[in-house]
Amino acid sequence: MSLQLDQLSLALDGVAFIRAFSLAVEAGEIVTLMGPSGSGKSSILQAIAGGLAAPFSATGRVLVDGVEVTHMTPAKRHIGRLFQDDLLFPHLTVAENMLFGMARGARATRLEKVQKALSEIELSGFEDRPPATLSGGQRQRVSLMRSLLAAPHCMLLDEPFSKLDENLRAAMRALTFKELLASKTPALLVTHDKADAPPQGRIYEIQNGEVIHVR
Amino acid sequence: MPAFGLILLFILPALLVLGFMVLDGFSLSGWEALFAHPQFPKALALSLFTGSVATLAALTASLLIAGALFQSGDLRRLAKPLGAMLALPHLAFAVGFSILIMPSGLIARVMATLFGWASPPAFSTVHDPLGLALIVALAAKETCFLLFVLAQAFSREDRRLNLLGQTSAAQAMGHSSLSITLRLLLPQIWRELRWPLVIVFVYAASVVDMAAVLGPNQPPTLAGLAWSDINSARVENNLRGGAAALMLALVLGMAAGLISTALQALTPAFKRYATHGPSHTNFPTWLALLKWRGIAGLFAASGLVLLIVSFAQLWTFPDIIPQVMNTTAWEQIGARPDALVTSLMLGLSCAAVGLVVLVAWLETVAAKYDQVVLVLSMAFLGLPALLTGLGEYRLLLQMGYVATWQGLFIAHLLPTVAYMFILLAGPYRSFDPRWRAASDGLMAGRATFLWKIKWPLLRAPLASAAAVGFAVAFAQYVPAQLVAAGRFDTLTIEAVTLSSGGNRPLLAAFAFLLMLPPLLAFWLAEKLGRQTWGAA
Repeated sequence: MSLQLDQLSLALDGVAFIRAFSLAVEAGEIVTLMGPSGSGKSSILQAIAGGLAAPFSATGRVLVDGVEVTHMTPAKRHIGRLFQDDLLFPHLTVAENMLFGMARGARATRLEKVQKALSEIELSGFEDRPPATLSGGQRQRVSLMRSLLAAPHCMLLDEPFSKLDENLRAAMRALTFKELLASKTPALLVTHDKADAPPQGRIYEIQNGEVIHVR
Repeated sequence: MPAFGLILLFILPALLVLGFMVLDGFSLSGWEALFAHPQFPKALALSLFTGSVATLAALTASLLIAGALFQSGDLRRLAKPLGAMLALPHLAFAVGFSILIMPSGLIARVMATLFGWASPPAFSTVHDPLGLALIVALAAKETCFLLFVLAQAFSREDRRLNLLGQTSAAQAMGHSSLSITLRLLLPQIWRELRWPLVIVFVYAASVVDMAAVLGPNQPPTLAGLAWSDINSARVENNLRGGAAALMLALVLGMAAGLISTALQALTPAFKRYATHGPSHTNFPTWLALLKWRGIAGLFAASGLVLLIVSFAQLWTFPDIIPQVMNTTAWEQIGARPDALVTSLMLGLSCAAVGLVVLVAWLETVAAKYDQVVLVLSMAFLGLPALLTGLGEYRLLLQMGYVATWQGLFIAHLLPTVAYMFILLAGPYRSFDPRWRAASDGLMAGRATFLWKIKWPLLRAPLASAAAVGFAVAFAQYVPAQLVAAGRFDTLTIEAVTLSSGGNRPLLAAFAFLLMLPPLLAFWLAEKLGRQTWGAA
């Protein structure tokens, strides 16, 4: 599994604000992208996921597992996402949320995977609970496992720890990195806080529209 | 391509209707005949009088109730009963209200029992020359609509907390609840109240079916005068009716403009009033609740009296309960259910088609093009139904669709889509795009996203829009009467026809039937749209 960006440039109303960003993230690698608020971090993720809309525009290529996905619809790119908010679907139970993105197959097998995933995040028995009955940390853990169960070929993490309090934040960070490494899913993490970056791993920073390799 | 449905079924016909509706009004002979009509000046004055007094009464009542109940935290509790009262067709309420207040009606019977009257009062309480019965009924019905608008305006979460904070601050400065309503709350929600007020004024001054049941006869309101001319067999009368309908729209437009200008001019005076200092004159919560319960009670009593009268075979004055009750009226309807079936089919088909074409539009067309639909929808809501109905009739006549099922369907669909669009566009367009991003991140396609996420999450506004669409189509009178051209019967046509006859049980049964399906649709929408998720 891999994620590749080839000369990705972004513009707002025709004015470039990210210039020729190239990057390759390999299986099991978590690359961090940093930059001040409004520098274009989230727009880069939007462009990779295929969700960039006017007045923004992008040029360059996005490749997932070596296949160009630049012109594919977001759902066909096999790119998983984790957001600041957990975005659990409120009308579905915890298990239904996790089943939502999973490949089709025998229901029993799929449910077994859900239970295994829930036990990994210490939420066994929460299958039938509506998301609204979970704490913030529990919801974020379910959201992470929901994304991974959809078997994405790479993951984009858009400041997923920024709304958690300090204790939860460290635990969630550790869990996320552990799961991503275990599933060998390449990931691009966007954050404005250096403490969120994995201790080993590359860090890029946006400076005046250029994306610079800083570690 | 999916947007084509709305263009073909609403945008194009609505544009043509707006063009066709002034055609009759351009006839010089029609205008000459109108000005020569001896009842014209009085009829016009009556329309303006009933419309403006009913609007003013509804505005005052709704403001006093909403202001006091917002401050006491009771306003949110009104949502459910208000929805039911709004769902009730105007015509059904008018029939129930007329039976309640007529000289031999239930109110007179209660008074007779209390004060020992032997015969009904000798003065006319329905079809009175000043239109007072019409004004009271319109004021009660439109108070509900304005209360609904005010409740929506006050309950926007960001604003609610802000206004509650301001209310506490004003209370601490010594302002009474009434002073806070008028000086603090009203100026902040006034902008949202202006359009609904215009709609209420135009509706109240141009209503046809309620005026036929409750309004003055000699002369009638200008809408009543125009309506009888439009339905006349003589072409010259039809032209005069067309001119009268256009005249009414022009005068109402000018009146609305004048009122708006006058209010603008009075802004400095309002500002002086707002900063005049605390006032202790109060409109306490208990009085607001009493007033609200009075209006709600009037609605309940109107429904109840319809049910009782529909079974009353013999009911002499001053008895409170009928002496002989039977099911003759209901058997008559059961033996010839055409009107009910046609009304139900129109309600269901218009709501279903309206929902499909609107969702297709909102799903596939950029939001900037909504303006076109919005302007046309507002035209249908803001213009007298008499005029748009006439335009629909003219258009369908040209197309050869008068007295056909297709014609009847289109005539009902246009106002239905207008109401549904205004209700649905806001919630649909403001659906949080992050849900789509989350769904995309889970590799779900568009169809899965729509069926499993978006539409289930939007089921409350979708269900409300469908219920309102059903109620609007079900309760149409003017387009139904014109386009049915005697070939089809609907419940509204039957009820208005019977209101001038003597078969009161049958009239009550039809009016009760007119009331039930919209209430059922509202109940279903409320049940379907209820949020079933949330903290345990």
